[in-house]
Amino acid sequence: MAEVRAEMVANVWKVLVSEGDQVEDGDTLVILESMKMEIPVLAEDSGTISTLKVAEGDVIQEGDLIAVIE
Amino acid sequence: MTVVDSRSATQAPEPAPSPEPVAPDPRDPRVRLEALFDEGSLRLLTEEDTSGALAGVGRIEGIPVVAFASDPRVQGGAMGSEGCEHIVHAYDHAVRERLPIIGLWHSGGARLAEGAASLHGVGRIFAAMTKASGVVPQISVVLGAAAGGAAYGPALTDIVILSEGGRIFVTGPDVVRSVTGEDVDMASLGGPEPHSKRSGVVHVVAKDDTEALLKARRLASLLGHQGRMRPEEVEEVDLGGVLPDNPRRAYDVHPIINKLLDDPAEAIELHPKWAPNIVTTLGRFGGRTVGVIANNPMRLGGCLDSTSAEKAARFVRMCDAFGVPLVVIVDVPGYLPGVGQEHDGVVRRGAKLLHAFAEAVVPRVTLVTRKSIGGAYIAMNSRALGATRVFAWPTAEIAVMGAVAAVRVLHRRKLAAVPEEERHALELQLAAEHEKISGGVQRAQDLGVIDEIIEPAKTRRAIAQAIAEATPARGAHGSIPL
Repeated sequence: MAEVRAEMVANVWKVLVSEGDQVEDGDTLVILESMKMEIPVLAEDSGTISTLKVAEGDVIQEGDLIAVIE
Repeated sequence: MTVVDSRSATQAPEPAPSPEPVAPDPRDPRVRLEALFDEGSLRLLTEEDTSGALAGVGRIEGIPVVAFASDPRVQGGAMGSEGCEHIVHAYDHAVRERLPIIGLWHSGGARLAEGAASLHGVGRIFAAMTKASGVVPQISVVLGAAAGGAAYGPALTDIVILSEGGRIFVTGPDVVRSVTGEDVDMASLGGPEPHSKRSGVVHVVAKDDTEALLKARRLASLLGHQGRMRPEEVEEVDLGGVLPDNPRRAYDVHPIINKLLDDPAEAIELHPKWAPNIVTTLGRFGGRTVGVIANNPMRLGGCLDSTSAEKAARFVRMCDAFGVPLVVIVDVPGYLPGVGQEHDGVVRRGAKLLHAFAEAVVPRVTLVTRKSIGGAYIAMNSRALGATRVFAWPTAEIAVMGAVAAVRVLHRRKLAAVPEEERHALELQLAAEHEKISGGVQRAQDLGVIDEIIEPAKTRRAIAQAIAEATPARGAHGSIPL
């Protein structure tokens, strides 16, 4: 099980996966917007998205849970 | 039995010793020193005794290097006054001969039974290390536990390599439990995971002892045998293909560094997982050792923050102390804003990077690939801080702040006066005008803060030439572990 957390405060600009999706290590899960940059958040493990905690337009803080891959 | 076994693999098997073959103890310091050096090159500087340490001189890729190793077979490698004198002796030799020095650590710290005598001995090692700082390259390899004094030994050196089984801490799990009540095992307290990602104590993690010694050999070669820059032998490669079409999109900077260096497989990235928003790599370019510093937009958008500024500052000072030229690859949206950063000392710790660059006398060439904004522009080896040469790709942008943010400040009243639904369009229009007068790379060149605009496919030769033409120099200072 791998928890994907936010590295920095950001807006959630795009969500590219849904709960139940299969992902591979390195796939883009969501794209954050911060410091006028679009920053992809990548899967660090292969598996199924069991939890997805963010939606487009959300503001997330450093350390917030984005998704869980099992 | 050196770890580079291409030659030994082809040798005939040694005749079986009689009468009973005894397998060498892999923890024997002599075995470890022999594995570190070129085959058969070890010459001992100290006696093989029960002092807990052994020192010698040998060769790595042909160049002479001094090394010492703890002896964990005696009192867990604990350091007494005699063993400490062996290590000080090794330092004296390295400094006198101007040779790199490598320490192989596996020690529980100061010998308890010796009391103040062992503490005094350990302190003498620290003093010898500090006096040698910036004079000769110092590399530490932690192969087992390195506790207390044995933790601060490596910490005072330029580069710390941790083998998978190595552990570094001031006080072990038992003391931690008795004082703070925290229940933690040795690996979670001082193993590769915490030290590579959280503490920044360790520069390089190796999967086993063999790989750890190989990395030490490569680093000794990079710092001890730097070679000469030959721009005429540098081939052009298009470094720009990595940049995304969308200028706002983050990307991983590693492929640019890999294309810049002669042989990325031979390069060593320091602190790859700690403060990954800035990359610090030693490698060869044009046949010469260089230090590469690059913002990585993939992590924290490439922002500078307190940790990354400190990591880069230490790297700049180390390279400067040993005369290693710097290549600085810039794509930085600014310093990371936030209460956490300010309270974490981003002002104090960020100042270290300004100080390090402004102080450095080695050739140091800057390449702005995409954007360079605000205080972070200054910090990333700008013209004002004394860069040898500043190049920019045609797509680069230099500004005090991003154009939209800037017009929100400059045209606050004008924007407030229009209805909200029109505000966004006006912002974009003002931003475009603002960019024209303030942010363009051409304007930066007119001001003289950029020397030359170059194409991504003609970058390698330009950087190599700038380094080759600069006066070689070396900073006259130590390399404090910032």
